[in-house]
Amino acid sequence: MTYTSYLFFFGFAVIVFMVYSLVPVKRRWIVLLVGSCLFYAVNSGFSIIYLAVTTLTSFFCAQKLTRIQDDFKAAKKELSKEEKKKLKDKVTKKKKLFAGAAIVFNLGILAFLKYYNFFAEQVTNVFGLFHLDFEMPLVRLLLPLGISYYTLQAIGYIVDTYRGKYKAEKNFAKLALFLSFFPQMTEGPIGRYDALMPQLYKGHTYSNENFTGGIILVLWGFFKKLVISDRISYIVGVVFSDYNDYSGLLIAISAICYTIQLYTDFSGCIDIMTGISKMFGIELAVNFRQPFFSRSVAEFWRRWHITLGTWFKDYVFYSVSLSEPFMKLSKTAAKHFNKFFASVIPSAVALFVVWFCTGIWHGASYKYVAYGLYYFLIILIGTLLEPVFAWLSEKTKANRKGKLWGTIAMLRTLVLVVIGMMMFRADSLMDFFRMFLRMITTFDFNEVSGGLVFTLGTDKHDFFIIAVGLIIMFVVDILKERGTDVLSKVAAGKIYIKWPVMIGLIMMIVVFGAYGKNYGAVDNIYAQF
Amino acid sequence: MDEILEILGEVKPGVNFEGETDLVESGILDSMTIIQLVARLTDEFDIEITPLDLVPENFNSVEAIKALVDRLAD
Repeated sequence: MTYTSYLFFFGFAVIVFMVYSLVPVKRRWIVLLVGSCLFYAVNSGFSIIYLAVTTLTSFFCAQKLTRIQDDFKAAKKELSKEEKKKLKDKVTKKKKLFAGAAIVFNLGILAFLKYYNFFAEQVTNVFGLFHLDFEMPLVRLLLPLGISYYTLQAIGYIVDTYRGKYKAEKNFAKLALFLSFFPQMTEGPIGRYDALMPQLYKGHTYSNENFTGGIILVLWGFFKKLVISDRISYIVGVVFSDYNDYSGLLIAISAICYTIQLYTDFSGCIDIMTGISKMFGIELAVNFRQPFFSRSVAEFWRRWHITLGTWFKDYVFYSVSLSEPFMKLSKTAAKHFNKFFASVIPSAVALFVVWFCTGIWHGASYKYVAYGLYYFLIILIGTLLEPVFAWLSEKTKANRKGKLWGTIAMLRTLVLVVIGMMMFRADSLMDFFRMFLRMITTFDFNEVSGGLVFTLGTDKHDFFIIAVGLIIMFVVDILKERGTDVLSKVAAGKIYIKWPVMIGLIMMIVVFGAYGKNYGAVDNIYAQF
Repeated sequence: MDEILEILGEVKPGVNFEGETDLVESGILDSMTIIQLVARLTDEFDIEITPLDLVPENFNSVEAIKALVDRLAD
């Protein structure tokens, strides 16, 4: 989606909001459902069938899981301990079968649409290696809007019902609303049924604080997207497409710029969607928490795209590492290694699965797989070296919680993250390697002093706007990190505070936003995944 | 309690766990360390820890971990 689509989206949301406010409180969730279906149908046409199929399978599977669990609870009352255990095993197997079938089916749809052509190309290439004339046919596939997000939501709902976290939803329309709620359809956040559904169902009455707070968040999101992200995207585009023409320093600057572009683009979009939901009185899950203040890569991922990270943690990492084969692996490792390695090995294997999936979730390309494995290796090495770091800090009496250590750790994390982002943005894995090699072998400071940096699709005027935008954004982020949420305070503040802020934001977006005939509209990066 | 402290010291060396009440939120115990801890606890106390038990409230302090172990051992 481009900013024009977001303007349309915001207009659409305002109309839904007006209808929502006019309908009796108890029926308001129906307005959200109709609005969401309408939004999806207008944007995706017949692709709504995919969403309907996922909703139907999730609904019936979860119903069945709850019925099996309820029957077991009723039956076990009259059984002996041994009989109970036998029945439990039988019930678990049955539940696994139903949940597994629904998960495989829905993941299968996602995998086919997202990875089939990539897979077909690889098969053709392998046959080509042996000079065999076989070509696996490619299919023209269109990825339905939000499929990578709503499929994860549906799987989360099925797994939670399987685990007995909550009972299945009895009303099909309510589950349909949970999976189709329009603000989270484009780029998430990936919602949880137990946190989101009660809010969606409860009819919210108009609240001035929610409404103004929502509008301020929407404006803040547009500010990040239009003033910073879309403007900085020109530098990134110029260098990444012709990196052989630039020396190491400019490549490094463009990689930093891309990191900023991705953050302002993605978190800006999430702010717009969170703001729209807030207008209705609905709080979406938090997806970013000042990620650039992280002291380790693992912490970065607890603050960046939080809902994806927690999804993989809860439904992949925990499922894999607590499964029977992994517990056995843990016991086997305990016999052959010391206690530390014995406990690291099983979680390292589970971690590998998580990062492989995280990488490939972003798309069908070797660079995404490498991107996931890059973070897996960094986090694993960090874990393995933890005893060494602890020993070193004890010997040197270094305070690992201190400011100096914190700043060094933050900078180290930033460097590692920027390298990861470079891989993420490069056209291919080979391009990343070539680019990285060029970056570290051809550093030339003259390119900056000679003013070449201003020819990267931008001029001094652009740099000035980007710099001011970044300063404003980082001041707000620093204050939030220290416990002061400026945007919420403004929303709850007096009229002579919030109106000037809102007007100021609008002025900045209108005057300094990168739009109009000199700027092409830039697609949101995470909407393509 | 001492056994739990000993296990914690092995999976996350160099931390004084006594008196800490925010082990998960402060990042001292991340998901990887928690899994290492769970592997050791299940082995040591012969209990079954499920994903539903893996919530911050059960791991934020030594006392909370002890309470979880006691509850699952019953």
